[in-house]
Amino acid sequence: MQQAAFFRVEGTLLDRPALAAAAWLAGNARGLGGRALRLGNVAFAAPLSLASSLASGATATRVTWMGLRGMTEDRVEVLAEEYYDEYVQDDLMDVGRRLLDRARKDGRRIVLLSDNIEQIAGRLAEALEADDLICNRLEISRGKATGRLEEPVVGSHLAGQWARGFAKENDIDLDLSWAYGAHAGDSLLLSAIGKPCVVDPDFRLRRIARDNDWPVVER
Amino acid sequence: MSVDSTGTAAPPPIVETFRGKHILVTGVTGFVGKVWLSMVLTELPQIRKFTLLARGRKGVGAKARFEEIAERSPALRPLRELYGSDFRQLLRDKVDVVDARLSADLCGLSEAEADALMADVDLVVHVAGLTDFEPDPPLAIEANLRGALNVAELAKRSAGKRMLHISTCFVAGRPSREVPESLEHGISPLGVKFDPRQELEELSADMASLATVRARTDHAMARGQRLGWPNIYTYTKGLAEHLLLMTPELRVSILRPAIVECARSFPMLGWNEGINTSGPLVWLLGTTFCRFPSRATNHFDVVPVDTVARGMILAAAELLRDEGREIYHVASGQRNPLTFGRAVELTALAWRRIHGRKQATTFESLVLRHLEARPVEADGDRLLDVNTVRRIARSVRSLLKGRDATTALPERMRADLGDSLNKRMKSASMKARNLDRQLGRVDDMLRTYRPFIHDHDWIYETTALPAATARLSEDERARFGFDVDDIDWRSYWLDVQVPGLEMWCIPILKGDSVPEDEPLPFNAVGRIAARAKSDEPTDESKRGPSACPEAADGPRPQRSVSA
Repeated sequence: MQQAAFFRVEGTLLDRPALAAAAWLAGNARGLGGRALRLGNVAFAAPLSLASSLASGATATRVTWMGLRGMTEDRVEVLAEEYYDEYVQDDLMDVGRRLLDRARKDGRRIVLLSDNIEQIAGRLAEALEADDLICNRLEISRGKATGRLEEPVVGSHLAGQWARGFAKENDIDLDLSWAYGAHAGDSLLLSAIGKPCVVDPDFRLRRIARDNDWPVVER
Repeated sequence: MSVDSTGTAAPPPIVETFRGKHILVTGVTGFVGKVWLSMVLTELPQIRKFTLLARGRKGVGAKARFEEIAERSPALRPLRELYGSDFRQLLRDKVDVVDARLSADLCGLSEAEADALMADVDLVVHVAGLTDFEPDPPLAIEANLRGALNVAELAKRSAGKRMLHISTCFVAGRPSREVPESLEHGISPLGVKFDPRQELEELSADMASLATVRARTDHAMARGQRLGWPNIYTYTKGLAEHLLLMTPELRVSILRPAIVECARSFPMLGWNEGINTSGPLVWLLGTTFCRFPSRATNHFDVVPVDTVARGMILAAAELLRDEGREIYHVASGQRNPLTFGRAVELTALAWRRIHGRKQATTFESLVLRHLEARPVEADGDRLLDVNTVRRIARSVRSLLKGRDATTALPERMRADLGDSLNKRMKSASMKARNLDRQLGRVDDMLRTYRPFIHDHDWIYETTALPAATARLSEDERARFGFDVDDIDWRSYWLDVQVPGLEMWCIPILKGDSVPEDEPLPFNAVGRIAARAKSDEPTDESKRGPSACPEAADGPRPQRSVSA
């Protein structure tokens, strides 16, 4: 059985949340009216994302990407490439890069988990030579985004059950694997993996880490 | 006996079909002709000889004109790179240039010259034509009709008595429909029965009786539209098809490309030449003009020039085997459709990239980058459409023209401000006039293109070339197969088409020049010579799929080059 290193991309490798990507894409839709409408939609998702008390983070993630409804696949691809070039590729967190390099050096399988859509996260995974990428996929029909995400929706709710299923499918020893997260929502994932580690955590995850005696890596 | 992928007896390989053949070609100084000639000489060195019928220009003879093209045109770059300093010898061995005037009987050759030349020719490929949509009709008649018939007369004297004629899909004319890959002889696009010979004679007689270009153009347009052809180009090309297929003792195949655009790989990624169909439209969408009169769901039937060249090779091979069909469509709309809606969006996204570059001006990056084009109905009255802006420009001009600003100023300000204000008003008036003129040209262009981008929608049946491709071996399919199914339109438009137009076409629209290759140095070493000197294999992977002649056919014909 092999060991893996699970990275929650937003927070450990990237400073910007997926909401920022969704807002940027919405703000570059065709036509001023379209932009305003889509940005309004994404703005509506912002408080949902912050409300960690929600039973399922999937709702916030769904609402976040709903703003792309009706956008052509061509536009999503081009804008995602532009967003990646401008805000992602040269903006990776050093601490995350170091952890990732070490995990690779130790022979661990690199698994990235991202709330971002495939068009952005895929480019990152390719650049980082990750072994696996779990991210959101926009549902496309007749060349346009429907505004829905394909199942499974990836968000902070992604937890132990998913990790166990993934480990079984890929012959991974979860007890000896590592997981890296930065937000309170990531705690579900972290607690399901043998060796959790928090990276520059927010206030609530820092408290959880202290309670559970998880190592904390600062920037 | 070998069988093809359809289970029928496989034809001989294309390289064998072309081996030892002598082909006479017209129109090699044009966009498609150049690429085809270059591709055949690169991929099919087994060919014995090309005879090119061409015209001199500006005091330069046909031969010298072709030699300059051969030396400097990027279309022949793969060939120059392949042969190095042997390139000139290749031309001497394989290419003859004959000064000819296609609009004259027997293309300006004497009976004896024509007989002597054609006795040895296996196939005639007629690419030459006038592609202007609304030229002075006698020019189009000469180039597209009389020229084609004169070349057919030559072809009848050839040993092979075969002719491949390059036409256009848009001879389909009105109305919108699925266009079959066939021709109903003597039936016009509107389904009207007509006599093509009589039509040509009447048209020619009418033209002789009309004094002005406008009158001739209007009359020819009306005649063409009566039969279903929307402009003079499609009218003359359509009529030529009917007349050619009526020619006795001649096997004629007609190849109809749709809108021919930038190359995918041969002669190089993105190559294009001159002001083609989509160049002005793409350019327009990168300006403040962001309302594009087209129907989003209509098909924008684009084919890369190297796909057309492949189609010509396939059709020529079938014709050489006496298996040629009457009509071949080289179109994408049926098998891999691109709509105007998608093309406009992709063009807008491509301009977004261009206007986002570091070297873009502030206006481009802050304004043009966000003013994205979209398809709109042609007759709507909108803010910022061409006619509205023209009206505004004219109003501004009439308001400012000839006015004396000093009369509107209080007397004490006249001395200080009068002259400067008058100068500014004059300048603004001139700008308004120039804007009106520019938009007038845009309006003319959109009116000319309107039948093709807005009013009609055609889907061209495309089965002949895919069927010919299915009969090829796997290797020849990669080299010569009809490949529209493989086109990823997003990648093609963003990475090939718009950058290609930006390099090869848009500078011409702006009045600038486009790059030409430096003439070949005498000691240039081609890949063939380099390989002969070294056992090291060259890096074939860096070459496009079309530029890989040795892959299936053993070593290149060094003997004929260095002889």
